[in-house]
Amino acid sequence: MAKKLGARSRPDTGLSSARLVSSYLFPRPKTRLALLLAAPVTWLVLIYIVALVALLVTAFWSVDSFTGEIHMTWSLDNLKQVFTQALYRTVTFRTVGIALLVTVIDLLVALPIAFFMAKIAKARSQRIMVILILMPLWASYLVKAYAWRSVLSHDGILQWLLQPFGLGTPGYGLAGIVITQAYIWLPYVILPIFAGLERVSNTLLEASSDLGAKSLTTIRLVVAPLLLPAIIAASIFSFSLTLGDYITVNIVGGPNQMLGNLVYTNVGAANNLPLASAIALVPVAIMFAYLALVRKTGALENL
Amino acid sequence: MRSDTTPAIQLVGLQKNFGSTVAVDNLDLEIRQGEFFSMLGPSGSGKTTVLRLIAGFETVSAGQVFLDGQDVTKSAPFDRDVNTVFQDYALFPHMNVIENVAYGLRVRGVGKAERLAAANEALATVQLSALATRKPSELSGGQRQRVALARAIVVRPKVLLLDEPLGALDLKLREQMQIELKDLQRKLGITFIFVTHDQEEALTLSDRVAVFNNGRIEQLGTPRQLYEEPASAFVAGFVGTSNIFATTEAKALVGATSAVSIRPERLQLTKTASVDAGAMSLPGRVTEVIYLGAAARVIVSCQGIPITVLYQFEAGPTPERDSEVFVTLRQADLVSLGN
Repeated sequence: MAKKLGARSRPDTGLSSARLVSSYLFPRPKTRLALLLAAPVTWLVLIYIVALVALLVTAFWSVDSFTGEIHMTWSLDNLKQVFTQALYRTVTFRTVGIALLVTVIDLLVALPIAFFMAKIAKARSQRIMVILILMPLWASYLVKAYAWRSVLSHDGILQWLLQPFGLGTPGYGLAGIVITQAYIWLPYVILPIFAGLERVSNTLLEASSDLGAKSLTTIRLVVAPLLLPAIIAASIFSFSLTLGDYITVNIVGGPNQMLGNLVYTNVGAANNLPLASAIALVPVAIMFAYLALVRKTGALENL
Repeated sequence: MRSDTTPAIQLVGLQKNFGSTVAVDNLDLEIRQGEFFSMLGPSGSGKTTVLRLIAGFETVSAGQVFLDGQDVTKSAPFDRDVNTVFQDYALFPHMNVIENVAYGLRVRGVGKAERLAAANEALATVQLSALATRKPSELSGGQRQRVALARAIVVRPKVLLLDEPLGALDLKLREQMQIELKDLQRKLGITFIFVTHDQEEALTLSDRVAVFNNGRIEQLGTPRQLYEEPASAFVAGFVGTSNIFATTEAKALVGATSAVSIRPERLQLTKTASVDAGAMSLPGRVTEVIYLGAAARVIVSCQGIPITVLYQFEAGPTPERDSEVFVTLRQADLVSLGN
């Protein structure tokens, strides 16, 4: 009887190879950690950091304008060109302006929607709204941009809707870019804010009201400080995604260019990879500056 | 306009439905000025909903709420002169202790120097002055509890609402906080309304207790009244331990015509039947002896009905299991529960 029990409580060892691996790894935490992280670290280093460094390095090379071959000699000419020529400055300001506008519009639209979802809607309608917000992400980015092209066109639905009020479609141009980008990136702004609001417990709002604060005061003193990290995360999404976009511009932007278009033409038509790299460093630098600014305000300390 | 006879809180025909569920059922209640009032009941009995209706977090389905004689039924929480100590404390995580305590004064537009002075005084009242610059996440449960108290009393509300404030604390700390709460209430002289499911806590702290069940008050009275004269089987069972005999059992055992209850400590074990006037003895067999330290809980089966007796050791030799004894009681100690 005792023998039988012993055999049952301690199953045969050495038969299963999975068990061998497990018992080998159990006393070796460092090996376990190495196995866990090997794949993601390789991916990060190869695909991410190496690519970024390559971009940085390429920006200091130059192209033989006659043969089109890349000279791997160090020079600051590309960067000088990007920083001094009026074209690049204009396009940079335009791109940053569009990205800021898209971010502000998305935040203004997303905040009330996220607040409704997190604090007012019942569980069922909350689930439905999350699905509705995620649904556009299932459709291709291109399809959405072309859909807006047709909406914005001069015989499109927007014109038809606004005509009775003496207004019309803004057509293809900067306004079209802002509207389309704001639409495409909206889910990426709503979801972090929704998640952030869900973490602000209802009793905190009740406590604030109980202590005499009216709704706007509660939003200013309790909700906003607790929500700031989520708002910043959301703004990083819409800002950086707009900053790097060039397809929407081609589809609904009319003759306008953004930084992405300059990169695209230099990689393709102009065959000037080093200059393209130099231009691509501009949005990277802007994002670094933005993150540094956010860090400095201390907004991320309450995370 | 207001006098000391104006109730601090008056609830008239209060009704709250959540969908088809009735949380509070046509409730009338008056809570006196300066009273330590407890609302006691199992979870889902409606006591917390009543508290939230008084605070203004929920809107009434019907009925009225009067605060100090004024109808506040339609007022927002920020317009009601009552403050709440929340079960989960609800401290603002991005503010330190002193900022949390000063919050109520800040939103009322009190100047910085003045509100910090008042907040420091409130912190001193709850003995937390040393931790003024800590964040709530750096405090223990008991300390958070005190901050929540200080934050609620700093604005000098007419009524303080406490929603199971000691529920999350361990036993020793809870007993200490009970003493401090009672002390604080005497010092401040404001009305405390205390929601709890712990009958012992309600009995030790309160001037009066309302026992809630299914959205209604089963009984309202002093702790002593509730304990000694429970109005229903529910109260007799919920407040302390009782022997409750349904009508048929009561008839068979003591010849009563309705359901009765009797406290275990009012029963005695005797070797012989008592012949005193007004006393009666029921023969039975001891089925269980549970040692409690100062006393023992003895369960005696009389005509197949288990009766719990609280047995004091000095009252004779310890009864043995399976021994034949008499359970002796005074008929005056039987509480009729109606039907």
